Amino acid sequence: MATPAALSPRGGLPAVRLDHGPVWRLWWQRNERLALGAFGLVLLMAMWELVVRLGLVRALFVSSPSGIVRAFAEALDRGTLWTDISISLAEFALGYVAAAILGIVIGIAAGWYRRLNYIASPWLAAWYATPHIALIPLIILWFGIGLQYKVFYVFLVSFFSVVINALAGVQSAEAKYLEVAKSFRASQATVFRTVVLPGSLPFILTGLRLAAGRAWVGVVVSELVGANQGLGFMINLAGTMLDTGRAMMGIVMLGIFGVALGEVLGRVEKRFDVWRPQRA
Amino acid sequence: MGKLEALDICMEYLQARTGNRMLAIDRLNLVIENGSFVSLVGPSGCGKTTFLKIVDGLLAPTGGQLLLDGRSITEPGRERAVVFQDSSLFPWFTVVRNVAYGLECQGVKPADARERVQPFIKMVGLEGFENHYPYELSGGMQQRANLARALAVDPELLLMDEPFASLDAQTRELMQEELLGIWRQSQKTVLFITHAISEAVYLSDRVLVMGPRPGRVIEDLHIDIPRPRPLKVKRTPQFLDYEDRVWSLIEAQVKRDMAGGNGAGGQVLG
Amino acid sequence: MAVTRRAQPSLVNHRVAEKSELVRRYVRNERAILGVASFLGFFALWEVLGDLGWIPVIFFSTPSRIVAEASSEFQTVEFWNNVRISVVELLLGFFIGVILGILMGLLAGWYRRLNYVLDPWLNFMYALPRIALLPLVVLWLGLTVWSVVMAVFLGTFFTVVINTLTGVHTVDQRLLEVATSFRASRPRIFRTVVLPGTVPFILAGLRLAVGHALVGVFVGELFAATGAGLGYMILVAGQQFETDVLLFGVLVFTFMGLILIEGLRMLEQRFQQWRPQVAS
Repeated sequence: MATPAALSPRGGLPAVRLDHGPVWRLWWQRNERLALGAFGLVLLMAMWELVVRLGLVRALFVSSPSGIVRAFAEALDRGTLWTDISISLAEFALGYVAAAILGIVIGIAAGWYRRLNYIASPWLAAWYATPHIALIPLIILWFGIGLQYKVFYVFLVSFFSVVINALAGVQSAEAKYLEVAKSFRASQATVFRTVVLPGSLPFILTGLRLAAGRAWVGVVVSELVGANQGLGFMINLAGTMLDTGRAMMGIVMLGIFGVALGEVLGRVEKRFDVWRPQRA
Repeated sequence: MGKLEALDICMEYLQARTGNRMLAIDRLNLVIENGSFVSLVGPSGCGKTTFLKIVDGLLAPTGGQLLLDGRSITEPGRERAVVFQDSSLFPWFTVVRNVAYGLECQGVKPADARERVQPFIKMVGLEGFENHYPYELSGGMQQRANLARALAVDPELLLMDEPFASLDAQTRELMQEELLGIWRQSQKTVLFITHAISEAVYLSDRVLVMGPRPGRVIEDLHIDIPRPRPLKVKRTPQFLDYEDRVWSLIEAQVKRDMAGGNGAGGQVLG
Repeated sequence: MAVTRRAQPSLVNHRVAEKSELVRRYVRNERAILGVASFLGFFALWEVLGDLGWIPVIFFSTPSRIVAEASSEFQTVEFWNNVRISVVELLLGFFIGVILGILMGLLAGWYRRLNYVLDPWLNFMYALPRIALLPLVVLWLGLTVWSVVMAVFLGTFFTVVINTLTGVHTVDQRLLEVATSFRASRPRIFRTVVLPGTVPFILAGLRLAVGHALVGVFVGELFAATGAGLGYMILVAGQQFETDVLLFGVLVFTFMGLILIEGLRMLEQRFQQWRPQVAS
């Protein structure tokens, strides 16, 4: 999230920036965001630990930073952590990649061929309206509990994000560029290659980013509802065994993966955006 | 080479929703001699851009015939190139790739095309900017690249659709002068569409004045100002006189159209 | 078939007019015709294949069976009870999440220091699939309706906060300058420049939150095992291979979501009257 240039600490109006003064003040101005963020993190952790140590809140309910670290060490020791992580990642990778490839192909085709678009659009709209979560029992009914059902679910929730965005990307080809191509007698293939594809790339990348977020949520949800392996399952199990530390650790890992995913995809998107004037 | 004849060109549109037929162009006739610079001026919506699209082959007229050097033309072809109003450079290609686009469409290999367009990039004064993206260029520079792109395919007939309309006034003046310089060097036949009367008078050998919709040529004015024409020729009495004549022609027509024709509403066809 | 139709949006060359009236009718309504046809075709095929036994009814059911099931369900008290419970859980969690989310988002957006402190947490919680917290939520709040409400709340809250925050940050610099040049007080700036500009973002956040809220209800009911609610009904139907009940439940669930979205859209209309209508 971009720092608002215009809003000041006290709210509202632009803050005056000083270019001179004591060293610490300059440093503070430049790194304020980092400092405060880190400060907030540390403060919360410290308070959390303290509150639990003092017995104000039962460790059973909320664990503590040290408890989480301990759980992490234990899990590493036991070796099951890697299995769970890799299962979750595998579900994600398989479902997401399949959705990405098929989604881009079908999305572009539906954008390019008008009739295909007319036929596919209502389905896309219908799919968008359906809460996919409610279909999980049905999918379990089809596949049984195991890797396949989760991969399929991940595929389902990501696929349509990719298709819809790819389609929009192709349709966003502006008339004026198509006209230029036509006036130079470009063949359909050339038009596709030089006008449609580059123009739709930003949309496709956005779609991939959104789909990744959905896919990750899909992994967790499907594991919670019915699974015998994976990070989500591990959290669930820990919860039932009242092993809060372990559950929290799992949650932290999920969160970290989620953040990392978003970062990576955001970078990829920026790289392909070289030709765009930099909008915030 | 480059002599354009338009015979009784008619363009009729059928509005899908209402079923009304609208006449955009009504029996437009003109002749543009080889190597001359001709402007088409007229009020908004009179069909100038429509006509240009017909000449380029992007639209098919509902009536009449177009001849280029005696050959009938119905589709976009190598002998014609358009300089579009909005620079319409592909934002995802660099300048050099954009300028080479026409050649690329003709099947020239990208590397060769890049070499071949260098002199044109130089001609429009964009040397050094080959690897920039359009968003990094100013409006005037983008239009120069636009021009280079059209010149690069070596057309006989250059069609320019209000290419300077989106530029600020000062850049516009300078670009007009540059355009004349480039035109003298390349010696193309040019059909130039514009709103701005002074621009038309300044640039052309002949100014064709169009009336309001449906479009037709109501006056063919020969501009008798010697070339080369520096910008300050715009302040001479002779120049202002020409401007005045064109304006009074258009003004009368527009006023008449506004007063009499109330059914002229609906889609504006530029 | 390329997208060259874009060159002339609403005017049709009169050559088309020369064709027969029927063809013209079709061309004008092609989009609707193909769309409807594809839906009808699908349902017809589904019904036929199911009745012929070519696809196992136990896995897919058929439209007619679902409709039959629907009419019988509508007459049971139990069904309406389930609906009532789920709706209450959903609305409660959603509204609390929205109100608190908007408040927090506005505060965090306006006060930069607050934003810096909260930033890491908000980002983390947003990237984390909040649903993973359910095992802990159940640990804290027990197997009650409140766990479900909390699940809905978690899903809604963070989505709304992040979007609201982004909205506050994306205020138009020029408008701020205008207000400042008229020496508007900070509260006035907030009320008249920042707040209206944030509304579209808030609404976008609400729309996204609906999806998360539905997930919250569904999974929440599974975990809290309250023994009632639509999610529970769907799950049980799945376990008992009652596919018609399952699919009917999915339809009802979808319908709930659609109503919420439609409600949001009407809200959006009211708040966005000043915007030129962009064709969606």
